[in-house]
Amino acid sequence: MHNARPYFPFSLLSVCYGAVGVLSVMYIGLIAVVMSYAALTVEFSQSVRNDGAAVAALEGQYLTSVARMTGTNYVDLGYTKPSAKVFVREQSVTALR
Amino acid sequence: MRAQFRSRIRLVLGVVIFIALCIIVRLYFIQIVHGQEYSQKADRQFASGGSGLFDRGSVYFSRKDGTLISAATLATGFLVAINPQTIRDPETAYAALRASVPDAVSRDAFLAAAAKKNQVYIEVAHRLSDAEGKTLADRDIPGVQVLRERWRQYPGASLAAQSIGIVSYGSGDMLAGRTGLEATYDDTLSRSGDSLYKNFFAELFSNVGNLLVAARDAREGDIVTTIEPEVQTRLEDDIAKVNRKYSSKESGGIIMDPATGAILAIAKYPSYDANVLRDVAPELLGNPLVEHVHEFGSIMKPLTMTSGLDAGAITPATTYNDTGCITVNTARICNWDLKARGVIPMKQIIVQSLNVGAAWIATQLGQEDFRAYFTKLFGSKTGIDLPNEGGALLGNLMKPQQIGYDTAAYGQGIAVTPVQMVRALGAIANGGVMVEPHLASAVRLNSGITRTLDWSRTIPVFSAEAARETTEMMTAVVDEKLQDGKARIPTMSVAAKTGTAQLTDGRGGYHTDRFFHSFVGFFPSYSPRFIILLYTNDPQHVTYAADTLSPSFLDLVHFLIDYYAVPPDRGFATSTPE
Repeated sequence: MHNARPYFPFSLLSVCYGAVGVLSVMYIGLIAVVMSYAALTVEFSQSVRNDGAAVAALEGQYLTSVARMTGTNYVDLGYTKPSAKVFVREQSVTALR
Repeated sequence: MRAQFRSRIRLVLGVVIFIALCIIVRLYFIQIVHGQEYSQKADRQFASGGSGLFDRGSVYFSRKDGTLISAATLATGFLVAINPQTIRDPETAYAALRASVPDAVSRDAFLAAAAKKNQVYIEVAHRLSDAEGKTLADRDIPGVQVLRERWRQYPGASLAAQSIGIVSYGSGDMLAGRTGLEATYDDTLSRSGDSLYKNFFAELFSNVGNLLVAARDAREGDIVTTIEPEVQTRLEDDIAKVNRKYSSKESGGIIMDPATGAILAIAKYPSYDANVLRDVAPELLGNPLVEHVHEFGSIMKPLTMTSGLDAGAITPATTYNDTGCITVNTARICNWDLKARGVIPMKQIIVQSLNVGAAWIATQLGQEDFRAYFTKLFGSKTGIDLPNEGGALLGNLMKPQQIGYDTAAYGQGIAVTPVQMVRALGAIANGGVMVEPHLASAVRLNSGITRTLDWSRTIPVFSAEAARETTEMMTAVVDEKLQDGKARIPTMSVAAKTGTAQLTDGRGGYHTDRFFHSFVGFFPSYSPRFIILLYTNDPQHVTYAADTLSPSFLDLVHFLIDYYAVPPDRGFATSTPE
């Protein structure tokens, strides 16, 4: 009986070594990509948060201004109360709608 | 050959078993013998290396033009931590710290922390600005770390503080919403706390579901409220003025859209600054407009009137003989001025605020119908999106004595929350239909989708005709009675009612000289855009709500007309004296 043993023009061991090498590089590369992505994400997130905090500071100024205007006593500032109020007609073109 | 191979195998096996035994013994010493010690050490190290930056969604006010303004957001800065084991000279380290940030920490506190040599991480100062943090980091003081931190910030400080709520540690070690909208929507606002320090591969395999369907993005987001910041500011300013002027125990108010239940402003005085919680009394943290019940007095009369009209027990043309006082179940009920009016129509019960008339309607209505209407109005919670909502006290309506129904008809003997009251009175403004009061209108999800919250559930209570007839009577209060008719706005119909209730004395009776004042009104009367409820508890040296709350109510009405450019609903060009 003839022994039909397969013949490879290269060493199987070399192929395995090559595969291990490629997989190792890919693994290290994957880790590098993942870590870089995570670092960029955190950095971007932090930058968004910083911008958000800056906007919140401006919003705080706006709300403080609203409170100051609401609390302003115009009589104390020298203004007098109107002697009469005139109300617009419902049909008037100046009536706000 | 085979024997040699077997002996080698045995040798390798022996080495493996020996190493395994060594590891087991080592583990025994680490986990059992010194377990407590390592656990504590790990806890201390976790605080510095493992905790990610605090993250949480925002809460927004909505301006009238739709612009969102932050009500609760995050601020960023730096914290200072020390490692007592690596600080060589605490005095020098403190001097260097003080040179960069003079007020960061006191000398005593710093030296006390530096003396704890068994610890590796102690935070000594928080909330440093970016400039301070960077200056300090540049000095590179041995044993002193400068780390980034984030914290909850409320740009409006005290603005709507009791409704927005607070974030705190509570009884656990997790920062979470504890009161207000922060608590109600904690699931949406809280964040999972991603950080660089997690094991990516463990995350990958343990959270496959999350990666595939992004469940977190569909759950986490920001809350958009219906609170209008300028209206809220005006309401807070007005009730603070009332409270200070009359030295009241507390005052509050709600402005709501009666057609949708959207609350534009909700305020109580005194309140607190949400950014400075150190000295805040715990009782201020809740929202009393939702949690506390009061006997509101005569602003209950419009509800009694509408119930009578809706049931057909009375019509606007019905008359009764007002004798000034009546006796019911041995108790005496009198009008506020003790005077009789004779035979008068129903409208006068509202315009002149007559207790005898309200009691008469309750009798005409009958106990069963009266109970049915008031249970529909107040028997259930409103469902408002704030925690710890209180329930009404309607015990007098479960008893057979008529006195309980007669007093309830003019707002004594039953107690309800302000938000229940504004919802019930809103039914008169909204064609007889009660709506769901609410503060949040939408959730802006992290996925980019804005999910509008559904508040469309309504409860029909009265017929539209009965509601309109009562509205006419309430409009007459402003046009004819309030400030002797001077409050009338020629081009805008405004419906209102005042209420003055005696305060309970805690012994089953009532004070004769201490009162709870309330005021309700809505406008334009026949197509209302706003309903306003105001109250002040125990004002001093004043008896009637018409004196305490009318100016505030009218100020708010004129402000809202101007701010929202509400068009006139009746056309008379005229001028009135101020």
